[in-house]
Amino acid sequence: MIKKFEDLNYYELFQIPYGASSFEVRQAYKNILAIYEETSLATYSLFTEDERREILSKIEKAFLTLIDEQKRTSYDNALVNSGEVPEDILIERAQKKAIPIFQINQARARGSNLARIRKKIQEKGTRERASVMVKGDVISGNDLKNLRESLGVELEEVFQATKISPTALDAIERDDITNLPPTIYLKSFLKSYAEVLQLDVKTVVEGYLKNVEKQ
Amino acid sequence: MKRIYSIGGGKGGSGKSFIATSLGVLLAKQGKRVVLVDLDLGASNLHTLLGQKIPQKGLDAFIDKETRNLEDLALPTTIPNLYLISSTKCSLEIANLFYAQKVKLISAINDLPFDYILLDLGPGTHFNTLDFFLVAPEGLFVATPEPTAIENTFNFIKSVYLRKLKLALKQTNMWYVFKEEIAKLSRGTLKSPMELVDILVKREPEKGKLFEDLLKRLKFKLILNKFRGQVTENLGEQLVDVCNRHLYPSFEFLGNISYDSRVYEAIVARHIFIRKYPYTKTVSDLQTMARTLTEKRQQPAELRISR
Ligand SMILES: Nc1ncnc2c1ncn2[C@@H]1O[C@H](COP(=O)(O)OP(=O)(O)OP(=O)(O)O)[C@@H](O)[C@H]1O
Ligand SMILES: [Mg+2]
Repeated sequence: MIKKFEDLNYYELFQIPYGASSFEVRQAYKNILAIYEETSLATYSLFTEDERREILSKIEKAFLTLIDEQKRTSYDNALVNSGEVPEDILIERAQKKAIPIFQINQARARGSNLARIRKKIQEKGTRERASVMVKGDVISGNDLKNLRESLGVELEEVFQATKISPTALDAIERDDITNLPPTIYLKSFLKSYAEVLQLDVKTVVEGYLKNVEKQ
Repeated sequence: MKRIYSIGGGKGGSGKSFIATSLGVLLAKQGKRVVLVDLDLGASNLHTLLGQKIPQKGLDAFIDKETRNLEDLALPTTIPNLYLISSTKCSLEIANLFYAQKVKLISAINDLPFDYILLDLGPGTHFNTLDFFLVAPEGLFVATPEPTAIENTFNFIKSVYLRKLKLALKQTNMWYVFKEEIAKLSRGTLKSPMELVDILVKREPEKGKLFEDLLKRLKFKLILNKFRGQVTENLGEQLVDVCNRHLYPSFEFLGNISYDSRVYEAIVARHIFIRKYPYTKTVSDLQTMARTLTEKRQQPAELRISR
């Protein structure tokens, strides 16, 4: 069931995760305002004046709630109590608050790293991306390595962006069966790996698992 | 695998025919067998954009039952692998097709043996245009970054949804429901197709859901044409975001195509723009788009309006 716009909670409205930092909240606020403000082309003629006013006031309220630590906490509690979202979000937020400064920096670095990789891939264009993926349905570590290299992404960068240990990454790319992590971890590693390189997650995970089976 | 794309978008002159032709040329150059179907009946001009003379045969022959096999009307162009089914001979009256003729034509289009079938539509939201737009499981819609075009675009999309809904109601003998409910509205008209869906779901939850699913399954891909530097950089993404939030989440942004005054010059000189100015930003934008379309991805199942 798709939620109606009116029914979106503040996080859904801002399209941010429940654990979003106040930096992310501000960023999202800026973006959504750009879409719904009076002068925006993107919503030109779509709403009546009243409808627009209502949307803008909801956005304003959402913003004022999400940047205020106290208000946000009670909003989160209300969301959980109403059963709309699982309790995990509270834990997620609590943990976020607790992380010492150097970890925040790391999280930032991780984000910017990802952005850099994305940019690289974008510049490479879609042709390279497509051409490497057309071979059969089995994907070996070597295939992944070639793919990564053809996109101009270093293993180090994948590590920075995914935090998968370099040894595990190395084992994956060398098809080093004995040193591969257990399957559940392997699956989640492959998923992150694929996501970072903007590959089709299902194809990569299934293709690689087939490759492991064969060996 | 066969792909059918309709190219529409409400606003006249937004570049639908230019884009249909250009994508057709580029896909053909990739070695795909491509057919352009000129469905702007009564105002067709794809042959002009391809720098060709007025074709001798066209859709009118199929509609008049002179030619049984639509494929026979696909004429080669100066581009290898690219074929054109013209409609220059279709008079304005043909634009008012009988429903049965239209159903036949739509099913013949679906059966055309080509890798890519591109349907060029006329402007506006006439129900024939909407029905042709609905032939393809995925519709490309072309907008330009101006308030007037944006307005027409939203209007076009809503009209597509409403048309789909009306056809489904007729086919399931539920047309009377529509009449009854419209009569109940104090405004006398619907605010949006979603309002009708809500009414239907409330009245008959099970069937209503089915109707809603029909609409959800329509896929739209937005192209922003005549893009210029001073336009909000991510307008396309914003538009798609808005559609996904306020209509149904079936919208995807295909990309911008840069404005270039030489497009006009090429058309006037009856040159194929892509051939004449292959190193422009506009052509590279079109190329990126053609590649995106050929990336292997499943097209949703066909959504014929017939039967
Ligand atoms: N990318 C572009 N840059 C500059 N001019 C363009 C571009 N695309 C289209 N045009 C101009 O817009 C005009 C209209 O284009 P086109 O005939 O493709 O529009 P259309 O949407 O098919 O119109 P109609 O609704 O009447 O069928 C062209 O003659 C051309 O001059
Ligand atoms: Mg046209």
